[in-house]
Amino acid sequence: MGMHKHPASILLLQGSDVLPFLDGLSTNLVDGPCTTVFTNQHAKIIDVCDVIPNDNGVALIGYEANKTQLLAHLTSKILGQSITIRDISMLNDVFLSDEKRLEMDVATVHDSFFGTMYVVPKAHEWRPTWTLEEWNNYRVERFLPYYGYEITQDRHPLACGLESLVHTNKGCYVGQEIITRMRSRGRQGHKLARKQNPVEGATTVGQTQSLIVVRTQ
Amino acid sequence: MNGFRASQVQKRWQIGYHMDCGTCESASPLQMHAPEVVDVTLTMTEKASAMLEDAFGDDRSHALLVGVLSGGCSGYMYDLQIVEQTDTPCQELSVNGFRVLVPLASSHLLNGIEIDYVDRLMGGGFKINNPNASSSCGCGESFA
Repeated sequence: MGMHKHPASILLLQGSDVLPFLDGLSTNLVDGPCTTVFTNQHAKIIDVCDVIPNDNGVALIGYEANKTQLLAHLTSKILGQSITIRDISMLNDVFLSDEKRLEMDVATVHDSFFGTMYVVPKAHEWRPTWTLEEWNNYRVERFLPYYGYEITQDRHPLACGLESLVHTNKGCYVGQEIITRMRSRGRQGHKLARKQNPVEGATTVGQTQSLIVVRTQ
Repeated sequence: MNGFRASQVQKRWQIGYHMDCGTCESASPLQMHAPEVVDVTLTMTEKASAMLEDAFGDDRSHALLVGVLSGGCSGYMYDLQIVEQTDTPCQELSVNGFRVLVPLASSHLLNGIEIDYVDRLMGGGFKINNPNASSSCGCGESFA
């Protein structure tokens, strides 16, 4: 079993309408645990987040480097709703793995787009078992985009392999008109591809193959 | 593949919740910048007034609540309701003889708006012309 330490931000949202609030602002249908994408009006990615409802509220797990933009996006949309946000990033570590450990009793386990996600209090001092190279090989094998490599804030979800996180008939969300138009016209500009090495302009280089974001027209 | 994970990830198993959600001391709520409350002025076209006249009749105990919700294609959505009263803290205005309520939390987004009524088979109904909106979506219900 491999483990990659995910450089995560963890926000805890509390209030009565947190899931509908998140649903109105992101691409996937948010009515329970899921992975979803927050996009801006131009359909560019703000962050890709895992949503984990729990007894204390809803944990929103994204990418540490995107936290400021995500927080600005969320807080500007809270209009009189009783939603509070706590930053619990410093209290927990997040790991991504290729395996589920069913006997797990110290971590919150969540089935993420990126693999099995473990959220564990820092006190347990978990350590990653994968090297960066092993993690990247796993991603290339699974055709899995990742933050900072394929998933960047200048791309839209369809351009970097996140099509499956864009729900086709959930209704309006920020950026939806542009994404729907790209889909209906079949013109999304770029898409994620996997090619045999060597690959010029690769976003992730694997042992024998690499990931690359290519132009579609 | 399209939609596969989207539907798959919604109904996933969870084994238990063991993350550290913090306490007030270790993870206090983030201070959110609340927008300044603005004294709202708004106008209503004759057509919109006539339609409200039809809706209210002689009963002026009700009010038109003009609010904003998060969401929609552009980030914010208009929310019009006819209410008797509301728990939401509001400014109360009198416009063309109608009681109009504007929630304090969205006053900065609604100052200066014009409430209009568009009479057509598709996409008709009340319409908000908002000088604060930098863009709006095709259906006119959402703005940014």
